[in-house]
Amino acid sequence: MSTPDHRPLLRPSTLVIYVLLAGFGLITLLPFLWMICAAMKTQQDFYTSQFLPPGNGLFGVAWDHLSLSQFVRLFRELPVPRAMLNSVFLASVGSLLATFFCAAGGYALAKFKFPGRELLTTLILGTVVLPGALLLSPRFETLYHLHLVDHYLGIFLPAVAPAFGLYLFRQAMVNSVPNDILESARIDGCGEVRIFFTIVLPLIRPMISAYLIIAFIALWNDFITPQIILQSPELQPLPVAIFELKGLYAADYNLIMAGTLVSIAPVMFLFLLLQREFISGLTSGAVKG
Amino acid sequence: MRSLLKLFSPGLWIVLLMAVISTVLVALLPVKANRGMQMWVFDANHAKIAGFIAEDWNRAHPATPVQVKLITGAALQTRMLSGFYSDTPVADLIEVERSMIGQVFAGPVADVGFVDLTGRLDRENLRTGINEPSFSPWTTRGHIFGLPHDVHPVMLMYRSDLVEAAGIDMSKIETWDDYFRVLRPLMLDLDGDGRPDRYLLNSSPTSLFYHEVLLLQAGGRLFDNANHPKLNEPLNARILAKMATWYTGPTQVAAEAPIGGPSALQLIREGYVIGLLAPDFIAGQIRMSLPDMAGKFKFMPLPAWEKGGRRTSVLGGTMLGITKAGATTSTAWAFAKQLYLSSDTAHRLYDVARIVTPIKANWNQPFYDEPDPFYSNQRIGRMYIQLAPEVPVRPSSPYYPMTQQLLSSVVIRLCRYADEHRLYDGPSLEPEAQRLLDEAQHKVEAQIHRNAFLRADR
Amino acid sequence: MKSSRLHSPWTPWLFLAPFLLSFGAFIAWPAVRSLMLAFEQTYGPKTTAFVGTANLQFLVHDPFLWTAVGNTVVFTLAAVVLQIPVALGLALLLNRSDLRGRRFFRLVFFSPSIVGLAFVAILFSFMLEKRTGLINASLHHLFPAWNPDFPWLDRYVMPSLILAQLWISAGFYMVYFLAALQNVPGELLDAAHIDGAGAWQRFWHVTLPEIRPVLNIILLLVVTGSFQLFDLPYLLYNDTAGSGPDNHALTVVTYLFQTGFRSGDLGYASAIGWMLTLVLVGFALIQRRLARAEES
Repeated sequence: MSTPDHRPLLRPSTLVIYVLLAGFGLITLLPFLWMICAAMKTQQDFYTSQFLPPGNGLFGVAWDHLSLSQFVRLFRELPVPRAMLNSVFLASVGSLLATFFCAAGGYALAKFKFPGRELLTTLILGTVVLPGALLLSPRFETLYHLHLVDHYLGIFLPAVAPAFGLYLFRQAMVNSVPNDILESARIDGCGEVRIFFTIVLPLIRPMISAYLIIAFIALWNDFITPQIILQSPELQPLPVAIFELKGLYAADYNLIMAGTLVSIAPVMFLFLLLQREFISGLTSGAVKG
Repeated sequence: MRSLLKLFSPGLWIVLLMAVISTVLVALLPVKANRGMQMWVFDANHAKIAGFIAEDWNRAHPATPVQVKLITGAALQTRMLSGFYSDTPVADLIEVERSMIGQVFAGPVADVGFVDLTGRLDRENLRTGINEPSFSPWTTRGHIFGLPHDVHPVMLMYRSDLVEAAGIDMSKIETWDDYFRVLRPLMLDLDGDGRPDRYLLNSSPTSLFYHEVLLLQAGGRLFDNANHPKLNEPLNARILAKMATWYTGPTQVAAEAPIGGPSALQLIREGYVIGLLAPDFIAGQIRMSLPDMAGKFKFMPLPAWEKGGRRTSVLGGTMLGITKAGATTSTAWAFAKQLYLSSDTAHRLYDVARIVTPIKANWNQPFYDEPDPFYSNQRIGRMYIQLAPEVPVRPSSPYYPMTQQLLSSVVIRLCRYADEHRLYDGPSLEPEAQRLLDEAQHKVEAQIHRNAFLRADR
Repeated sequence: MKSSRLHSPWTPWLFLAPFLLSFGAFIAWPAVRSLMLAFEQTYGPKTTAFVGTANLQFLVHDPFLWTAVGNTVVFTLAAVVLQIPVALGLALLLNRSDLRGRRFFRLVFFSPSIVGLAFVAILFSFMLEKRTGLINASLHHLFPAWNPDFPWLDRYVMPSLILAQLWISAGFYMVYFLAALQNVPGELLDAAHIDGAGAWQRFWHVTLPEIRPVLNIILLLVVTGSFQLFDLPYLLYNDTAGSGPDNHALTVVTYLFQTGFRSGDLGYASAIGWMLTLVLVGFALIQRRLARAEES
């Protein structure tokens, strides 16, 4: 950690920094603010103001022009509830499975010596350099032959073996799981599965939380894979559904913005709650400490 | 057990909870099995009309009901292609637009996902009653794969309120040169920023559809009758060179308010564009989306390129196809005929969307002669029908969507060239237009050449 | 690593099995298959034809592919030149430990990267519109000379994409830089300060070398990420399947997607995929070579 400055607190340079940060912060937040206001405005007010519509209310804003009717419309008339269920389902189950598979795989690669371990590790981690686009076509072909197109499993099965996750968990195992604990547990007669769940996993709890959230957000936001694989509208998650909504109701910008808001709110909320784990997990692969 | 619980961070709890609840819900709320025949439609007006006809059909045929679904164009195309390529669920009947049909026809004829209708049309003697050119976009290698939905003649729709307020007489206008010259005084700079706030034509280099409209009107063409690309014919170069002068430089008279987005409606209201290239469906669309603009628009045949030249063109086009993967073809065919061939449909088509039917027998129906109060009591139905014989033929090549985009590229680059060299008259731009069209021609030919499936069929 | 006597030789394989099954079927096998597909032409996964090296020959002359490569390279260069300095700059601003609300600002800057690309595309498609879009309206409000009908999405495709990506990514990489900056030993900085070095010199001679490894990683991430740009242009220009006006928005991955899933030619799409892979692997290797040369 850099040592604290032994100087008075609010120097002019600090003030400048605050001003700069506030300015950039505002620019960064502007789209969000716009989106929130847009979701509550009416068609006509779209042309009268960028943010809150002018009027006779408090602060010169026409508060009575704002309404939540677009949100109601999203949930009552349009297939947003189903899309949200699909998103929650795909993201939560998928991230749990991916986390579990990577943790188990990382454990095996890190804590066991067996013939072929080095080769396997290199092969698997080597695939990190392969761009996702390369595998799109043949993977789709494989799913087609397995009759998994237009099925939830078509999303789950390819998503539960990410090489990047394996790398992170292997690192975590190496760093946080001492061999002697494992040895003494085995000497005590503990079964391998019990060791894994009761000793190993609790030791890498931070990485589990971190990767879970990373995988969850990635799955939640994924557009292209569901677009290719899930063709039935009842299976489609929020990104696909909202985008289709935009095609159908192009001029109803307020409806689309409400839909977008509803789609990013859960992930934003989750992130707010768990930002520390998320960021530490993200940077652990690149930066030590 | 305690050490197991140590594992659970708040994040894990939350995700686990979501997983359990959602899995339960997904299991309990299965995907509804669709009853009866499915029909996919990409246009809201079409969906409305098909909905009415479907209601009648469902009452008469309770055993084989039809369900009409509105899907946005891009998604419809994705799902249709996915269904044809990979057997994902497709509807029994699909309405397809011209810009979407290309890929369907690019493989082996045997693999086209739609049922070949040529035999049925001939056996039931339906071809003669339908405007023959309307079939061409849906025909590949001699086989017809869809029932045509429209004729789509194009007229010029203009802001009569602004024109008449300025005391301009539109009846003297015969050519595009006349049009732009006579209406030039309307191109005003209203807010004093040095740029005009009114333009005379709703088109721009990036518009995908309008270039072809103008090209075909002027006698140019993209493909010949054998579907060979003919992009680089000298006449095309001459036409595009002239068009470029409308889009850029001191001669600019056109800009686009792309119909569909939220700003476009406002721009049109404000008079950003005075004239619009209007196929019949645009008449319906404007009527629907800008009800406050009643009485402010009027129609006239397109100004010709040369005196005595063609006064109309064609834009877009839709067909109804029956998928091979769907339910019984004969039932779908029966519904398709009822939807597309009945005079009831023709009436609704015009009533809701101002679209003229391709069934010639229905052209003498009285509703086409009714004055339209929204359009200053003009009889636009009859006006469009009168232009039908002059409507140019639409190409049916699988590479049509590609050439549409290439045409747009050519115009964009031509305009950039014009700006760089400050050349703003047709003849000076012709050599560059020709060069660009040659390049585009080669691109299309290369793609056609590499297609192993088209080669095999020949 | 030991205790081979206390567990059965099958144990590691047991733990690896779930991962390996999915990995084998959906990553390893497709990687191999893509090599085969590159020599075929398909019309959807059902219909294939062997075409030998025709795909590769076409690839070399394909004008659309090279347009895509050009666009992608331009985008990547802009991303490197903009995203890295901005991210580093924000991190430096935030790195002062006497700063209150650091957690808050970190959250603010990082949040755009949590929004899904699909939603960013929808948001920006509205914000970049003529006349009523947020960006044109704000700029016109601040600078009345700004053209309110500035055609962002029509004529300034690359700037639009670069802008959107900057909004998404600057905060993301800032977090990496922040973590790296926190690891710079305070004693080194203090020593430099005592020696009379100014802020800029401290940065250049102490901070920068210390964070060089992370900088290299971020460079790799930015380049490989930018080179694979797809969702944003595909969604912003969905009506032309991601090509944009005059193919200005076409990127390599977009072209791959169009070829594979619109035209149904999974074969040519795989050929394009391998070209992309070779470029990215090549870049990664070159960068590693240079980084190692620097260290010595």
